[in-house]
Amino acid sequence: MQIQPSDLGLIARVTGLGKRYGHGAGTVTALDDVSLGLRRGEFTAIMGPSGSGKSTLMHIMAGLDSPTAGRVWLGDTDITELSDSALTVLRRRRIGFVFQSFNLVPTLDVRGNVMLPFELDGRRPSRDEQAWIDELIGSLGLSARLRHRPHELSGGQQQRVAIARALATRPDLVFADEPTGNLDSRTGREVLGLLATASASYGQSIAMVTHDPVAASHADRILFLADGRIVRDTGRSSAEEISAFMLSMEVAA
Amino acid sequence: MRTRIRDQWPTLLVAALAGTFGVALLHVTGLLGAAIAADEVTGESATVTLILGIVASVFIVIAVYVSAIVTANTVATVVAGRTRLIALLRLIGSSARSQRAQIAKEGLLVGLVGAVIGVGAGTGAAMLLEQVAVATDLMPATDYDYLNPAVVLPAVAVAITTWLAAWVGSRRVLRVRPIQAIGDSHEQDREELSRHRVRNIAAIVLVVFGVGLLVAGILWGLTEPYGVLVAMVGGILSFTGIVLGAHVVMPPVLRLVGRAFGTSPAARLAAENAVRHPERSSRMTIGLVIGVTLVTTFAVTMESYRELIRAAQRAQPEVYQGVDQMLDVTVAVFTVLIGFSALIAAIGMVNTLSLSVMQRTRELGLLRALGFERRQLRWMIVAESAALTLAATVTGIVLGFGYGWAGAQSLLGGAQGEGTVVLPGIPWAMFGVLLVAAGVLTLAASIAPARRAMRVAPVVALAVE
Repeated sequence: MQIQPSDLGLIARVTGLGKRYGHGAGTVTALDDVSLGLRRGEFTAIMGPSGSGKSTLMHIMAGLDSPTAGRVWLGDTDITELSDSALTVLRRRRIGFVFQSFNLVPTLDVRGNVMLPFELDGRRPSRDEQAWIDELIGSLGLSARLRHRPHELSGGQQQRVAIARALATRPDLVFADEPTGNLDSRTGREVLGLLATASASYGQSIAMVTHDPVAASHADRILFLADGRIVRDTGRSSAEEISAFMLSMEVAA
Repeated sequence: MRTRIRDQWPTLLVAALAGTFGVALLHVTGLLGAAIAADEVTGESATVTLILGIVASVFIVIAVYVSAIVTANTVATVVAGRTRLIALLRLIGSSARSQRAQIAKEGLLVGLVGAVIGVGAGTGAAMLLEQVAVATDLMPATDYDYLNPAVVLPAVAVAITTWLAAWVGSRRVLRVRPIQAIGDSHEQDREELSRHRVRNIAAIVLVVFGVGLLVAGILWGLTEPYGVLVAMVGGILSFTGIVLGAHVVMPPVLRLVGRAFGTSPAARLAAENAVRHPERSSRMTIGLVIGVTLVTTFAVTMESYRELIRAAQRAQPEVYQGVDQMLDVTVAVFTVLIGFSALIAAIGMVNTLSLSVMQRTRELGLLRALGFERRQLRWMIVAESAALTLAATVTGIVLGFGYGWAGAQSLLGGAQGEGTVVLPGIPWAMFGVLLVAAGVLTLAASIAPARRAMRVAPVVALAVE
């Protein structure tokens, strides 16, 4: 019998992952033989300088881009060669996204944005799911803003809406791409606290791509990428430790 | 998912106009039919009514065809502007098919509303015309019933073609990739071009086959008047081929026209903008090319016919007495009818140009940030609009001249009992009108976008969305 990723307590796994762009002499290697597993219920930060391949890794793990080598699993599903429509359903039901630029739908109000994944799925949330959404909206402090459009909200509020949308379907994995990149440091800390809480209290698995040591210090586990390879895998660290390591990487390079 | 109907108002305008035209034309045909039936001399003849009906249908079909092409292009422009939103929805888990169905649904809705407006406005226009005509004794009062069930036909045609055109125009939704929601997304020129092989082949086959039929029709027309029917099929096929291959035909014309605008930075950028996205610029111009081609084809054929009559008139003045006035009236009526399709095409062009400027807010902000003055920006947009209009008008005149001559030759080549070469009549007045109209159109198409562009603050280009 084959061992499934879930048997190892993993929510996502990649093996021998490679991604190249271009041909011949102009080839750019974004990822080079990366293998890793993300553990269920953990808040993992993927760090690295610009061009280290961290965004490419996230895109491939979320089924937005396809690798040139290796395989990708989400839960027990091998998503490496899934069709576009299967990936669409996968994103809808099993993956959540939080972006640097919030990416809310401008024509929908807060409620509409949070309910969007269900609407796209063509169903209404069950009573259980509705209770969960209400709880989310309450704990994210959005109850008074349900009828507001994104442009009427501050950056921090917009990011809370995006988090509510990402968590609403209780996805297997939430991808956060520089979620604090557009926020001031105090609002950024709040958002990171919310993500950490979602992981600690609700067992939500989260993968966050960032180059900000302060953001990464909220995570349970930190992976460092450089030149398309994983160069370090540590547990919870302070912002100072992370900065020191980042600096040492710069010096070594 | 709530629709964004606001983007669709240009489509609504086109649908409503086509509907109004069709309905009004059918009512007027009905009115004339009623008047003819009431007349003691012609009352017995059903032929006249039948011919009137056929002529009206031809013009309605042309108007609906032009509006369908305009709508497909407008929808394609709207989709280009929504790329980021569509990518976001795809990312969150909406399927490409449901996104496309959404846009087609908007098309159906807009088409239905346009059809209803068309029935109302068209009936109103026909009633007004009747009252004017009766009041000025042009026409006797008739007992024509405005509850003519036939007017449902153009209304239904408008609703259905708008729906279909929205479906066709939305095919690029399928090409939006979810990853475009993250980071910068660009229109992918090379990718777009490489996918056009099937379309190019279809265009070439149509043009070659159509031109072959056209030539056959002309040759046959030397002995039989039926040659014109073959030539007409050839004309429709070859022209459809040109419309399909517009992204290949238009850029060289645009490049040529662009050179005529001088070498100031604004003019150079305007020329570049017009050529940079062959897909986009052909989308914007092809509707107008169709309109101008139709008008020119018709004008050249009529003018050739008129010259032939004049020649005959000089030979036998007594036989052809009073023909001049009848000819003038016929030409005027047909010109108005065909001109309406050109008007729809012109409106389509104004819409797509405005939309495309709005979609380039960031780029315009960048130019301002780099030191473009407002005045230069405005000149750039006017020049771009002028390049597009001029290219479309010139292409249309050249094509129309060819088709018009082919039509006249195949129709009249054998008219004198022996095969003769019909010299193409050159409708100078019509060319003049077309060029003036092109100038007006340029201004109309650029005023709103230019004003909008001048309001763009330089900081917009630097801000993260």
